[in-house]
Amino acid sequence: MRVVKTIMAAALTTALSASAFAATEADVEASFYPYKNGVPSFPGLQAGMTIDQSNVDQFKDVIDSATFNFIKQGWTNIVVGETTSFDLHPNYVQATKDGLGKVKLGATSGEIEGFIAGRPFPAEPSMDDLRAGEKLAWNYKYGYNWGDNAAIYPFYWKYKDMNSGKLERTIKFNFHFLNFMHRVNQEPIPNIEPNPSQIFRAIYVQALEPFDVKNTQLLIHRYEDDLKRDNAWLYLGFQRRVRRLASGQVTDAFLGSDVMIEDFEGYNGRINDMEWTYKGAKEMLMPFYNHNDLTLSEEHKESDGYQFVEMAGKGDCFPQITWQLRKVYVLENVPKDSNHPISKRVHYIDAQTFTIPRTLIYDRKGELWKSWQIGQAHPDHHLPKNKGTGVAIDDSFTMIDVQAMHCTTGQFKGQVDPALNPTKKFTVQNMRASGR
Amino acid sequence: MIETTKVVGRSNGWRPLPLIAAIGMAVSQNAIAYTSEDGTLEISGFVENATFQRNGEGLSKVRNTAQIEMAKTLGEVGRFSNVGVYGTFRATYDAVDHFNDRFGSSAGGSLNFESVGGGGLSTPWGASPLTTDQLGTADDFPWGPGGFGFNTTTNPNRGLVLLGSDLHDPDGGVTLGVPVRPCDKDSRGCIDDYMDADESELRSPEFNDRWDFVRELYVDASLPMDDGTEWSFRVGKQQVIWGRTDLFRVLDVLNPVDFSRHNIYDELEDIRIPMWMATAEKHFGATELFDDLNLQFVWNFDKFRPSNLGQGGSTYAILDAGNFFRAMNNCWENGCTVSNFAGGQFATDFPAHTIGIRKAHLPSWSLDNTQFGVKLEGETKGVGFSLNALTYRSHLPSLRGGIPARNPFLQDGLAFADPDGASPIQGEVGGDEFARPYLIAFDIHFPRVNLIGGSLDLYSDALKSVFRVEAAYTDGEEFANTLEPRLFSESDVFRYVVGWDRPTFIPFLNDRRAFLLSAQLFGQYLVDHERKSVNGIDVGMPDEELNHIATFLVKGWYKNDRLSPQVIFAHDFGAKATTIAPSVDWLISDNLRLTVGANIKVGDTTQEFDDCRACNPFPGFTDGGAGASPGALALRNLAGLEPLGRFQAGPIGMAQNEDEVQVTLRYRF
Repeated sequence: MRVVKTIMAAALTTALSASAFAATEADVEASFYPYKNGVPSFPGLQAGMTIDQSNVDQFKDVIDSATFNFIKQGWTNIVVGETTSFDLHPNYVQATKDGLGKVKLGATSGEIEGFIAGRPFPAEPSMDDLRAGEKLAWNYKYGYNWGDNAAIYPFYWKYKDMNSGKLERTIKFNFHFLNFMHRVNQEPIPNIEPNPSQIFRAIYVQALEPFDVKNTQLLIHRYEDDLKRDNAWLYLGFQRRVRRLASGQVTDAFLGSDVMIEDFEGYNGRINDMEWTYKGAKEMLMPFYNHNDLTLSEEHKESDGYQFVEMAGKGDCFPQITWQLRKVYVLENVPKDSNHPISKRVHYIDAQTFTIPRTLIYDRKGELWKSWQIGQAHPDHHLPKNKGTGVAIDDSFTMIDVQAMHCTTGQFKGQVDPALNPTKKFTVQNMRASGR
Repeated sequence: MIETTKVVGRSNGWRPLPLIAAIGMAVSQNAIAYTSEDGTLEISGFVENATFQRNGEGLSKVRNTAQIEMAKTLGEVGRFSNVGVYGTFRATYDAVDHFNDRFGSSAGGSLNFESVGGGGLSTPWGASPLTTDQLGTADDFPWGPGGFGFNTTTNPNRGLVLLGSDLHDPDGGVTLGVPVRPCDKDSRGCIDDYMDADESELRSPEFNDRWDFVRELYVDASLPMDDGTEWSFRVGKQQVIWGRTDLFRVLDVLNPVDFSRHNIYDELEDIRIPMWMATAEKHFGATELFDDLNLQFVWNFDKFRPSNLGQGGSTYAILDAGNFFRAMNNCWENGCTVSNFAGGQFATDFPAHTIGIRKAHLPSWSLDNTQFGVKLEGETKGVGFSLNALTYRSHLPSLRGGIPARNPFLQDGLAFADPDGASPIQGEVGGDEFARPYLIAFDIHFPRVNLIGGSLDLYSDALKSVFRVEAAYTDGEEFANTLEPRLFSESDVFRYVVGWDRPTFIPFLNDRRAFLLSAQLFGQYLVDHERKSVNGIDVGMPDEELNHIATFLVKGWYKNDRLSPQVIFAHDFGAKATTIAPSVDWLISDNLRLTVGANIKVGDTTQEFDDCRACNPFPGFTDGGAGASPGALALRNLAGLEPLGRFQAGPIGMAQNEDEVQVTLRYRF
């Protein structure tokens, strides 16, 4: 009897998903251009102002709780910038329009039907929709996060003791991303063929420095079938071997940092691994900015003149960027695996770009463990090659372990450049060939 | 000859202290790697000191290392892309002999040899009861004065240690004297081109005639094809690694290995001996069936090199083989004393060219002696796989008996008067050398081996575990076999490893970071195994028909991976021997790493096996006048720990008394 009820509930939910929440072209416009008719505002909040220990209480409603506490304790402050539109690439928007009315959730979590490309569920999420959280997760998964491909080339991670400010480690990486499917901009469109295992997306990471991780490489294949477990491999330079990773290693500290592989880009896992709950839309300050307008770090200056985001504040754990008041969706994910090291994540998803600039991560006891911030830079105010790409450029991060008083910061040189991301780079064999 | 006049000496300008000072200087000056302005040339490296203390013996390693790694990328050259030149250069200086006189030019001493039949008689090297008339004069022996004995002026009783004495007493078995000084100090037992390192080569093994200081130097290039596939090439001195397992070499057999560095316990990366090879690899990429598919051809065109097992007298000698070979070569070249040999009762002074190891047949360079392999490797449906085939020369030595040797019962120049008419060699004259079945006189060969195998790995979500499997079947390998007239036989071998890796939280040790648990089971099955039990002893092949070795690693991380303790257990089931190796890695800074560890062995290594004292190689003399044929099983009743018991003890068992504390400090720039 219980089974019958479950099936009926699922059928009803699916029906609701497919009909009551069906999207229109107006929804698409609203989804991709939320600031077309004006930007959000909050009493007392103005572009150019600084929110610090002295005035943070006034803006508590537009600052996530972790950031609020950081400011309250005087660890950092926020410089407010103007809210600007981060228009995604028109091909992605068009693909969304082309898919209107064709995409729906499957019967169970992790299943989707009719999706070709674009944003699968552009309609405004509803608190009445029991599966709204899942839809937001799909929108993130199939988001234009790095476009069809991109590289962070190079990418500096720094491990810091927040109390002493001691810089413990500096790791230099190259990160590469490639969408095998649902491509909208770079040939081949929509899919790279052949692709017998139906890989949706691949991430390839190469550690360059320091010596103990030099030549370490990571490759992750995420499959189109969300019910299929990711495959991941690690190449260890000192062994000169590729080792297949167990899933437990994606929820472990990546190379000793405060970041787990599952944290990459905000959330880097399967939809089916989590229970997703939509908690509502809000207008909040988010780390969105124009990279070229910042006062940048003189450290690691590139030969082409590119400079990375500066870090300062408590323990040098805080990117020196500006924040915009933006529309976000609050999305909670709770691991289905009871052995997962966290109890939940609370994501603040940017409604326009579906990037995840802020996430609060809670430990198994339900206490705040980490604060995860990924700064988004406008592509037209970044490297010349990124101009017009319609990609919100991940540009700076900080993962703060508030319990251990430790942080890992990230400084990006994001490049939307197909030449840096050939398909062959995302093979196990490439790890062997590149290994030394 | 014993002591040569070749003097290399302790100098060469190398001293440990300057290198230690260099580490200090590099640290203090915060040395960094070099990258050219255009980023196409990178130079980095490290300096390192590794100091090991062996329980009861003092220092066993004071090795200083400087390594330089360079990469020059050239980009596109003609039709080729990703062209680059890569090199690794390494220089080491092990100063252990400066600090511990158990090694080096003053190692060893004088020896006495046991005669259990003499009521505990113990006689010096070259003065066994048979040759000093303690058991009677020549007239008392049916064969007359015979040819026993050797010249102790050219083969003196000094610079020797008893074979296996680190592990056991003679205990009624055979023992041999091993010359242990560097070959420029004492050339006895040094086997030309195989185990003949002089003092400077033992201290700085990279500086030899194979230019091992050029550890790797190769050119990479890719050739994109019109159909989207790609060929990649790598030519030069390199390591080519096959397989998916740690520690064990089932498929990873393209490069020989330098066990003299630290037995089996160093990373293979550091102890593979790079060879001049060419690889060509076709990358098919994704196909309709495979996510990734690659076909690799490997041609090892270098002159053959065996694995370095460690020379007699050096600090690390896997299976103690280097000591056994050196003792035996000295027996052949100069004669030697062997305890409890004659009748299993009396120490015996063998003349030269009677027993021992005559020479090593190292394959010369010819096209026929090069080595060739093919590997098909890919990924499909979540399973990584490889199929491998290789024809190569065994890196491990095979001792083939049946070489011409003299009969020590005959005095030089005297015609043989067969007392029993049982000898198959009629009319021989003392000093004549004939092939004699079952005589422990050998040449070393490196037989050609053909291998087919494969590997796979997969992830089990239900078990949250990765499984790795590797297997190989070879033909052509040779093993000691006392049932065979030449004391060896060939056997096909099936080897396999099953590995299991699982990241696992152990909350009471660390509730934030999972531990890596990794276990492996290695199996070896000798398809053509032969062994019998006769007269209460085992004869035939000392290697087990089926043996397993298990390893288990527990590794944890603290302080954002800057502190990493681990412990490795390894147990050889056949040898009943275990190694426990705990260590802690401390990453003091991005450049400086300190590793403190220990290597402790436990178990029983005293394993006896037929030593062929009673194999009757000289019928009419060694059969007590029974007229038995060579190798007659009825006569076999003597077994000992040496030399074949060592094959049962294995590399773990034979190093039972090499417990160590190890400290390694590396500065990377």
